[in-house]
Amino acid sequence: MTDFRSEVIAAGGEGITACYQCGTCSGGCPTVSAMDYTPRQIIRMVNLGMRDRVLSSRTIWLCATCYQCQVRCPREVKITEVMAALKSIAMREGYNSHVARPRAVSFYRSFNEIVSNLGRQFEPLLLMKTALGSREGITSKLGYLLRSAPFGIALMKKGKLPFRPEKISGRDEVRRIFENVARMEAGE
Amino acid sequence: MSYAYYPGCSLEATAKEYDISFRSVFTALGVDYQEIEDWSCCGASAAHATSRLLSVALPARDLGKAEAMGRDVVAPCPACYQNLKHAREFVLESEENREKLRRALEGTGVKVEGSVKVKHVLEVLLKDIGIEKIAEKVAEPLEGLRVVPYYGCYIVRPPGRESFDDVENPTSMDRIIQALGATVLPFTRKTRCCGAPVMMSQEEEMHRLSYEIIKEAREAGAQAIVVACPMCHFSLDAKQPEIESHMGEQLGVPVLYITQLIGLALGLDPYAELGMDKNMVAPDEIIRKYSKKAVKAKA
Repeated sequence: MTDFRSEVIAAGGEGITACYQCGTCSGGCPTVSAMDYTPRQIIRMVNLGMRDRVLSSRTIWLCATCYQCQVRCPREVKITEVMAALKSIAMREGYNSHVARPRAVSFYRSFNEIVSNLGRQFEPLLLMKTALGSREGITSKLGYLLRSAPFGIALMKKGKLPFRPEKISGRDEVRRIFENVARMEAGE
Repeated sequence: MSYAYYPGCSLEATAKEYDISFRSVFTALGVDYQEIEDWSCCGASAAHATSRLLSVALPARDLGKAEAMGRDVVAPCPACYQNLKHAREFVLESEENREKLRRALEGTGVKVEGSVKVKHVLEVLLKDIGIEKIAEKVAEPLEGLRVVPYYGCYIVRPPGRESFDDVENPTSMDRIIQALGATVLPFTRKTRCCGAPVMMSQEEEMHRLSYEIIKEAREAGAQAIVVACPMCHFSLDAKQPEIESHMGEQLGVPVLYITQLIGLALGLDPYAELGMDKNMVAPDEIIRKYSKKAVKAKA
């Protein structure tokens, strides 16, 4: 049952066993009002080995990685790192079922793909890839892109959206890093 | 004082004015900076959510390049700053970590030893250049200008091994603003997240969080919000018209980069040298009142 806890610790969620459930994390969390479980509850659920419920929760995708909880935790639980570890496990195992948050995983995936190909981020492509790769219906995808179009044009007028991406000459090195890490993680 | 400049991806696109104003202000202050050649993305929040090792290995490539230059890194973007700083701390922590990283960087020719420091632009301004030097160079004091400093998350959190400001009540930007002659208003949301990291996946959360920040600034009587982060700037400035229409409320609060504000006080050209025509909420009134160059150009 508690194997899940070790898995989360191994993925970077250090200190999780020290939690004494004071709720300081939930009190300072900026997105807690939209979460299905509070950060305090998630920590408890991980310690209890409630794998499936935690990985399919809305909470992990609502974490904005602001580190407010982590710096205030009196027990030095690395709460933000726990959330990141949960995201990475959920992504690896294809947990993206939360209908209300279909774009979260697509955003991270698209981000990595672009950096792996170009060596740097290219924001216009990121927006398009995120929308098209998400788990929402085609109408919703197109709606999102259409709504974003005037904003993109406004940015372009200000010279803030380049038309072509910067391709760095060391992009093979960057891709190599992605491949090395993927291989190491698969072997572990 | 010489630095390896790491702009990061945002400063090439949506935060162009941060790059422009950073370069102009550092040049005006006589600081030697040199862009890291062929730098790559630090991995931002995506690498962090994908794999801990990836979030260290990607910025390690840039850190290695800075080490080869023998210069400390200056990063204007707090997310880049955190990622590069974290990579350095990871390397310094243990032999086990160094071995892991060596394997992750295999075939790239990159070597990292943790020999150079990683600094945010505020840290360099405050600790290396110093308030006195900045105050000395002020040509157009910003007297009468009331602003709130907004720090967001990554400038102070997580603090890591070494941090340059207080985690709950940072004051580095406050002190710089005061040295320019402007007034800093009390502001409770200095370090409350703006929601930028969840902008694409949960727009409504970003709208709510950024709205609360802009609203407090407006009610405090601020003529501008001052930031030192491209993502905070994107949420508060570029997205402000969208937030206004969602909330059904006019806000109209300009958001300036700290480097734009410094540049204005140093008497630099607000457009050519500070990119102030690129801010989405136009800071026209501030420019009119405080920039002699702009007045001359218009006349």
